Amino acid sequence: MAVVPLSLYVHWPFCSFLCRFCAFAKAREPAGGADHERVTAALVRELETQLAPHADKELRSIYFGGGTPSLAEPRSIGRIIEAAGRAVRLAGDAEITLESNPTSAEVAKMRAFRAAGVTRYSIGVQTLDDGALRAAGRLHTGAEGLAAVDRARALFPGRVSFDMMFGFAGQTPAQWRAELETALAHADGHVSVYQLTVEPGTPLFRDRRAQRVVLPGDDAQAQMYEAAVAACAARGLRHYEVSSYAAPGAESVHNMGYWQGRQWVGIGPSAHSRFVDPGSGQWVRSVRTPDIRRWVQGCEDRGHGTARTERISSADAAREAVVLGLRTLDGLSLSGSGGGGHSTLGGYLRMDAVAEHAAAGRLWWDAAAGRLAPTERGLAVIDSVLLDILP
Amino acid sequence: MVRRLRPVGWALWRGLGGPTPPPSQQLLLRNGLLLLHLQRRLYSNSNSNSNNSNNSARGPDGEIDLSGYPPERIRNFSIIAHIDHGKSTLADRLLELTGVISKTGKNKQVLDKLKVERERGITVKAQSASMFYEHGGHKYLLNLIDTPGHVDFSYEVSRSLAACQGTILLVDAAQGIQAQTVANFYLAFGEGLAVVPMLNKVDLPTAEPARAAEQIESAFEIDASGVLHMSAKTGLGVDRVLPAVIEKIPPPGGRIDRPLRALLFDTWYDKYVGVVCLVAVKDGAIRKGCRIVSSHSKTRYEVAEVGIMHPEPTPTTSLQVGQVGYITCNMKSISEAHVGDTFYRDKEPVEALPGFVPAKSMVFAGVFPVDADEFDRLDESVQKLTLNDSSVSVHKETSAALGQGWRLGFLGTLHMDVFRQRLEEEYDANVLVTAPTVPYQIKYRDGRTQFIRTPADFPSAAAMQDAVEATLEPFVSATMIFPEQYMGAMLELCTVHRGEIQGHTFIDESRVMLKCRLPTAEIVTDFFDRLKSKSQGFASFDYEEAGYDASDLVKMEVLLNGEPVDALAAVMHRRTVAAAGRDMAQRLKGVIRRQLFDIIIQTAANGKIVARETVKQLRKNVTAKCYGGDVSRKMKLLNKQKEGKKRMKKFGKVELPQEAFLDVMTTSKKDPGRQ
Repeated sequence: MAVVPLSLYVHWPFCSFLCRFCAFAKAREPAGGADHERVTAALVRELETQLAPHADKELRSIYFGGGTPSLAEPRSIGRIIEAAGRAVRLAGDAEITLESNPTSAEVAKMRAFRAAGVTRYSIGVQTLDDGALRAAGRLHTGAEGLAAVDRARALFPGRVSFDMMFGFAGQTPAQWRAELETALAHADGHVSVYQLTVEPGTPLFRDRRAQRVVLPGDDAQAQMYEAAVAACAARGLRHYEVSSYAAPGAESVHNMGYWQGRQWVGIGPSAHSRFVDPGSGQWVRSVRTPDIRRWVQGCEDRGHGTARTERISSADAAREAVVLGLRTLDGLSLSGSGGGGHSTLGGYLRMDAVAEHAAAGRLWWDAAAGRLAPTERGLAVIDSVLLDILP
Repeated sequence: MVRRLRPVGWALWRGLGGPTPPPSQQLLLRNGLLLLHLQRRLYSNSNSNSNNSNNSARGPDGEIDLSGYPPERIRNFSIIAHIDHGKSTLADRLLELTGVISKTGKNKQVLDKLKVERERGITVKAQSASMFYEHGGHKYLLNLIDTPGHVDFSYEVSRSLAACQGTILLVDAAQGIQAQTVANFYLAFGEGLAVVPMLNKVDLPTAEPARAAEQIESAFEIDASGVLHMSAKTGLGVDRVLPAVIEKIPPPGGRIDRPLRALLFDTWYDKYVGVVCLVAVKDGAIRKGCRIVSSHSKTRYEVAEVGIMHPEPTPTTSLQVGQVGYITCNMKSISEAHVGDTFYRDKEPVEALPGFVPAKSMVFAGVFPVDADEFDRLDESVQKLTLNDSSVSVHKETSAALGQGWRLGFLGTLHMDVFRQRLEEEYDANVLVTAPTVPYQIKYRDGRTQFIRTPADFPSAAAMQDAVEATLEPFVSATMIFPEQYMGAMLELCTVHRGEIQGHTFIDESRVMLKCRLPTAEIVTDFFDRLKSKSQGFASFDYEEAGYDASDLVKMEVLLNGEPVDALAAVMHRRTVAAAGRDMAQRLKGVIRRQLFDIIIQTAANGKIVARETVKQLRKNVTAKCYGGDVSRKMKLLNKQKEGKKRMKKFGKVELPQEAFLDVMTTSKKDPGRQ
């Protein structure tokens, strides 16, 4: 029997600054610094508890996200990687990514992170517009962002990614095109390009509601998205997921795991897991408490900070498989197991709607191979397409 | 339950929403009926302060004995006034002066029992109150019959006036005569009532009593030289009001030795005693135990109680000729009580009184529950509320867009607003009221006449050609009063609203009274607001129905990618179609969400496109990020969108969210193209 692949997500909850658009669980580092020792011990403890049922699987990727994991001490990262390798067999070519901000203090630790076992580096450049960076609450410049990318390329050749965002207040499609051109000149094998989204509960949400901030309109946002697709293609970076572009073979193993329905375990405050429970054979989702203090306490007292565990019904699992699979341009196989009493995903979906969207050039439907994928045009409006094809 | 328990005393008895009692009384209310006794006692305590009540002769069970009040010792009168000219305050003062209510300084609009009445400063339901008063060495029984001031309730007004012999015309000395005063004056004048003008608020620094008196003379052609000056608020001059009533208003006619003849002029339903009837005794007398017959239905009833409103219902030994009061007679359903009916004693039939022309609906609107699951509860509420307001006509209606509901007919837009407010406040209902329409008429060549309640009733283009002789729309005759510098603006307002100016009069050296005939459809939306804004609040406006005239009517249809949307169709004059069509298309463009294809919005009349707008196709809506923790958030959002999609109404492939309908159907239309 083939070994079942597994991914591990590790959430480092502290930030040195808080971005006004961020909706993730995070906290500013306490004065005098975070208690690295205590948080690391809690992460290791939770990792051991959470990975124990998955000892027979193979760990294909580890992803340090946050928060700002580049604020962690390389020693802590090393201890976590080691602990993971002890709990589950770590594949020889496992992808171990660390997210980093481009501040000088963090860039200085890059080599040490590599020594600790990190194999892939992802940098939050976000924008080259220093005004937009300041307005977003970020404490670095665009030039520092690109310098960090260059530095990372020297240390992790072929395994560097960076994030760019469009849709900042006052930004025009022309400005964005120029900015992206400059940034892409520094690109390695991978970039992620996001539209700035206004999440409820963020300072940006409140700013917009109070009309202190006016973001570009729908048409401008769509033009910026299309500009990103074109600019990346011109540099040989294939659009393989809504926000992800890669040179052949440089796709993110970890993120593809989410979209292809792989099992993953998440540790740290607010981290999610999604895996097949070895006991029942059922898909399960669990989530850690977002409150850092309570999460640490939970790990110390019980070995984990899990707040909630729920079964995913077969219908929901099918729905998730379609929603996530159709975010990638490779799409998904409809011969996979279906939901709601259907033997295949094909039986689960509204195939008349699939045919309509295929005819309109928004979906590729290869009936012989049983493969369904969005076209580039269809991907841009996939949320509407999904509403039509899901039962 | 608390809502039903809120009314106290008489209000509880009436089953209408009364003022909120103080907290201590609210607690007592939980004990239900016991409380009623307590309230009654509270009232009798307060009444015991009243000299006049104590002075009244009493019957064997403690009822007030009215046999000492022949018609010449009775006056039945009302007060007519514009909103805020002080009618309710004057009523409060008169009730205090005669000891009907104690003088606490807290009596505010005692007769306006509905919350909506107090809030809006208007009277909706007629009320009455009896007072005892000594004048010139004689004791008088004075019945104040309160009437609604607004023309929407003119049906109620004429009912109330039929029980009166005279009225006080109360005019604010600072504001002068307003359009509503004029309408009510002519209503009273038409009934042959004695009109006694009085000037209120003479204590205000801005009061100009001489000018107001001049206005009264020129507008009504009556002598205002000896007009009484007062301030109902401070009490100044109020002591001269009742002597004037007694001297200037004639006593009721009729004879005690004739068989009973009583006019039923108002009714309401009470959940404890059933139907309560307000009657004016025109001849003879009525007492507990009498067997009476309705002229209308010939049904016999036994009178269970008679009494006067004092201001709470207070039993009397009898009601005699000239007197006004209530009776209960075990009537179970309000539909038995035919307002305008004549009661006579069993086996002593009399000629029936003329009665009233039933109220006609001037304005129709769709009323729907905001949440379709609320239909049954709302149905019950609408039924209960229409029990006490029979002037609302009710038809069930099903709309493709809004589900099950009603098409209700109202006497006017204020009546409509008041009904909605009462539904919301007294029945806790959450309703949606569509933009009002008027009852158009279609005359067919075969002589048939059809009323158009909803645009769906409008004949097809083929039928219009082959079978229709004429289309007609209702008109009103409007009165506007304003300072002369607004003459130009007011004339223009009337003209753009298809009005026909009938003339104007200067009622004093600077104020103008303008008469204009207007299509009813033009005044049911925002005419009043525009009148106020164009005159900086100085113009007043009132109207009365003025029949039907031939009018070039068309049906405006709304098409989405070529599919007609019935719920958005509207009937209107051909001249207004272009502007209304443009406005509708623009508003729809504002509320329709982008879809995966272009959506063409068209408005059309007689097969011709009036306006066209396009909602461009959606270019991008994909969620930017979707990693581990985002997955469940994304799935929740998707499920919510999927639910929303199920509630969408589909027209061809075009989906319209419910909110789009609400927005377009409930907001009164912006005045298209008229700045």
